[in-house]
Amino acid sequence: MNALLRWIDDRSGLGEGLRKCSDRPLPGRACWCRVWPCTLAFTFCVQAITGFVMWMYFSPSAQTAWESVYFLQHEVAGGWLLRAIHHYSAQVTLVLIAIYLVQMIVTRSLRAPREMVFWSVVVMGLLCLGLLLTGDLLAWDQNSFASTKVRVNFLNLLPGVGAGLFKLAAGGPAFGHLTLTRFLALHVGLLSSLFLLMLIVRCMLAYRADKAKVAELTEQGGRIGRFWPNQAVINAVACLLVMVVVLLLACQHGLSGDHAGVALGAPADPSVAFDAARPEWAFLGLYEFSHLFPGTMAIVPIFVIPKLLVLFAFVMPFLARSNVGHRLNLGFTAVLLLGLVVLSLYSVSKDKKDEGFQAALATANGQAERVLELVRSPQGIPVSGALTLLRNDPKTQGPVLFTAHCAACHDFADAEGKGILAEKSSAPNLHGFASREWLTGFLNAEKIATPAYFGNTAFKKGKMAGTVKQWWDDAEADDMVDDIREELATVAVALSAGAELKSQAEADEKDAQLIADGKDLITDLYGCTDCHKFHDNGRLGEAPDLTGYGSREWLMAIVANPAHKRFYGDRNDRMPIYAEFPEEPAKNTLSNQELGLIADWLRGEWYEAP
Amino acid sequence: MENTPEKSSPACCCSTGNSSEDICGQEDRRGFLAKAVAVVAGTVALAVPAVVGIVAALNPLRQKSQSGLLLRLTSLDALPEDGTPRKFPIIADRTDAWNRFPNEPIGAVYLRRTGAKSVEAVQTVCPHAGCSVQFTAGSGEEDAGGKFFCPCHAASFDLAGKRLDATSPSPRDLDTLEVEIRNETDVWVKFEDFQTGTAKKVAKA
Repeated sequence: MNALLRWIDDRSGLGEGLRKCSDRPLPGRACWCRVWPCTLAFTFCVQAITGFVMWMYFSPSAQTAWESVYFLQHEVAGGWLLRAIHHYSAQVTLVLIAIYLVQMIVTRSLRAPREMVFWSVVVMGLLCLGLLLTGDLLAWDQNSFASTKVRVNFLNLLPGVGAGLFKLAAGGPAFGHLTLTRFLALHVGLLSSLFLLMLIVRCMLAYRADKAKVAELTEQGGRIGRFWPNQAVINAVACLLVMVVVLLLACQHGLSGDHAGVALGAPADPSVAFDAARPEWAFLGLYEFSHLFPGTMAIVPIFVIPKLLVLFAFVMPFLARSNVGHRLNLGFTAVLLLGLVVLSLYSVSKDKKDEGFQAALATANGQAERVLELVRSPQGIPVSGALTLLRNDPKTQGPVLFTAHCAACHDFADAEGKGILAEKSSAPNLHGFASREWLTGFLNAEKIATPAYFGNTAFKKGKMAGTVKQWWDDAEADDMVDDIREELATVAVALSAGAELKSQAEADEKDAQLIADGKDLITDLYGCTDCHKFHDNGRLGEAPDLTGYGSREWLMAIVANPAHKRFYGDRNDRMPIYAEFPEEPAKNTLSNQELGLIADWLRGEWYEAP
Repeated sequence: MENTPEKSSPACCCSTGNSSEDICGQEDRRGFLAKAVAVVAGTVALAVPAVVGIVAALNPLRQKSQSGLLLRLTSLDALPEDGTPRKFPIIADRTDAWNRFPNEPIGAVYLRRTGAKSVEAVQTVCPHAGCSVQFTAGSGEEDAGGKFFCPCHAASFDLAGKRLDATSPSPRDLDTLEVEIRNETDVWVKFEDFQTGTAKKVAKA
C-alpha cells in the first residue's frame, strides 16, 4: 500500500503539490477572517455536485423544462432537497462574495500587491449574478419566466445593438426552446467554468501575494501562521457552518410535502400577463432603483450605473493607497450597501401593502397548487406539457374568463354575496345557474324582478316576469300558494335535470318520478311551451329553448350567440355575441375552447383530486 | 476564537518550526486534534450535497417497469387454425418520466394456435441482445411451419420458441407468456418484459 502511494507520489508529484499547498505559511496567524475563499470554493463544489445531478434530470425545452423540474421536485427521492440546496447555496455564495469584498475594502487588503486578487473576486461576483440570472429561468415557472423576460427585455434599451442582443440572448425573436438551451449552456457550461477559473486564478494570485508578504514578515520578525492544520480547521468548520445555514434555509418549509424546499410555481404561459413577477432578492434593490427612472431613462439604472459601479470597483485598489481614497472607498461601499438594503426593504414593504400584487400572488399560488392536482390526475402530463392542463382547466380558467368577459354585467356570487362581483351588476347572478335553487328562485314572483335575476334587465317588465307574477297572484287569490310553490319547485327540478349538473347527479337519479311530473307541468298546466320550446313541444323564436336548459351545449350556444333565434333573438337585451361565426373562429371574441371552459366552470364541472 | 491558532502555530514538530522551545507533546496532541476536526468537518460538509446528489441520481433504481399487464389481444377466430403465428402489438398507457402517453404500442407478441382452444404466446424480443425476432414462413420440408428468426445475430427459434441451433447466440429459448382464454374466445395475455442476455428468464422489475 505504502509502496503504491509512494509510486503515485513519485510519478505525479501529487504529494508534493498537496504539501506545498497545505504547509504553506500564512502572513499572520490563522484567522476566521481568512475563511471566505475556502467557503467560496466549498459552495462551488456544492453547486457542481448538486448542479450535475439536476442536469441529469433537466430537459431544456418549453414543453419539458417545468415538467422535468416538477419530476425532480416531486417524484425523485431527495429531489426537492437537491434543488433547495442548489438554490440556497447560490444565494449564500453571493453573500460570501459580498462579505469578502467588503472585508478587503475595509481592511485595505485590496492594496498592492493584491489588486488582482480583489478584481478576481469582483469578477466572481459578476459571474455569480450571471449564474443566478441564468439558473432562475431554467425552472420555467411563471415567476422565473416573467421576471427573466423583463430583464432580458432591458437589452432593448441599448441603442442600436439592443434588438440584436435580445435575439442572441433569447435565441430568437421570442422566449422559447432556444432560450432554455442557451441559458442552460451559459449556466452549466460557460459561467460556471469561468467561475471555477476565477477561483483558481484568485488562489494563484493570493498565493503569490501571500508568499511575498511572508518573506517580508520573516525579515521583520513578524508572526507567521500555518495553513495546515491551524487555518484548515477554521476553514473546515466555516464550510460546515455554511452547509448548516444552507440546510436550514432549504428545510425552512418542512421536510416533506408539496411546499418543501424551493417553491415551483405554475408552468410559464407566454400568452398570459403575470402580475406577481418579482426578481430574486439580489436584484430587488436594483429593481426598485430602476423605478426612479421613467421610460427609456431605465438605461441609466440598468446599464450605465452598474457599469460605472464595476469600473469603480476596479479603481478601488488604487484609491485605497491614500487615506482619502480609502475613506472614499468606505463611503462608497456603505452608500451602495445601505442603498440596496433600503431599496430592497422598501420594495418588499410596498408589495406587502399592494393589494393588486397580493391578489396576483394569491392567484399564482392557487395555480401552482392546482397544477399539481392536475398533473397527478389520471390524465398525467400530456406531451404538449403541463401548461395545457392549466389552460384546459375550468376551475382556474373559468374565473379568469368570467371576469374578463362576463363580469361587466353578471355577478357570480353565492348566498353570502361572495364571489366575482360585476363592475355594474345589470344581468342575472349566474352562481348556481340552472340548479334547482336557482330556477326555484327564478320562478318566484318576489325574486324574478330582483337584481339577482331580471331586476336590472329589459326583461324586468317582460312577458316572463309578468307571467310568473300572474301565476302567484292567481294562486294567492285562490288560496293555493302552497300548491304553486310545490308545483313550481317540481318544474324547477324537471328543468334543472336537463342541465345534468354534476352536483345534482344523485338527486336527479333519485327523483325520476318528480322530473317526469315536472315535465308534464311544463308542457300542460303551466303552458311554458306556448312560448318556449321544450323537447318535442313548442317552437323556437319567441323565448329561449328550454331543452337541455343549462347543459354544457346549451350554455356554450347561448354565450356564443344569445341573439340566435334559439335564445333571445332580436329581443336580446345587452348581452354581446361572443362567437357569431362558428365557421370562422378567427372572427369571434371567444374560441370554442373558451366557451367550453366558461360553461364547464359555471356548471361546476372540473377535475377534483380524490 | 483567536486562541487556537495562536497557541498551536507555529507547530514545533513540523519541519519549519521557528520557535523550538515549545513543549512538543502538547503541541502534537493539539495539532492532531485540529487535523482531525478539519478532516471530519470538511468531510461532513461535503458529504451533505454528495449524499443528497447520489440519492437523487440513484432514483431510477426505484422506478418499476410496466410489466405484468393483463390484456385482451384478440379472439380465437382471428388466429389461423394451422398454427401460423400472428403478431399483435401491445397497446397500453405508457409513462415516460413526467409524460403520460395514453394507448401507445409498448411491445408486441406472437400468438399461435396450438389446439382448438389453446394458444401460445411468445415475446418478440430476442433473449440474446434484445432485437426483434421475425416470423418467416417455411420453405423446405424441414421447417414446413416456418420459424422465428432474429436478424441481428442470426438466432433461429422454432414456433414453440425453442432454439433451433445448438450454437445459437441466444442464451435461452424465446420467452413465452401466460395466456388465458376467457369466455371461450377471448385471448388474454400477461405481457412481460424479460432481461436479455441471461440463461434464466427473469422478468424486468
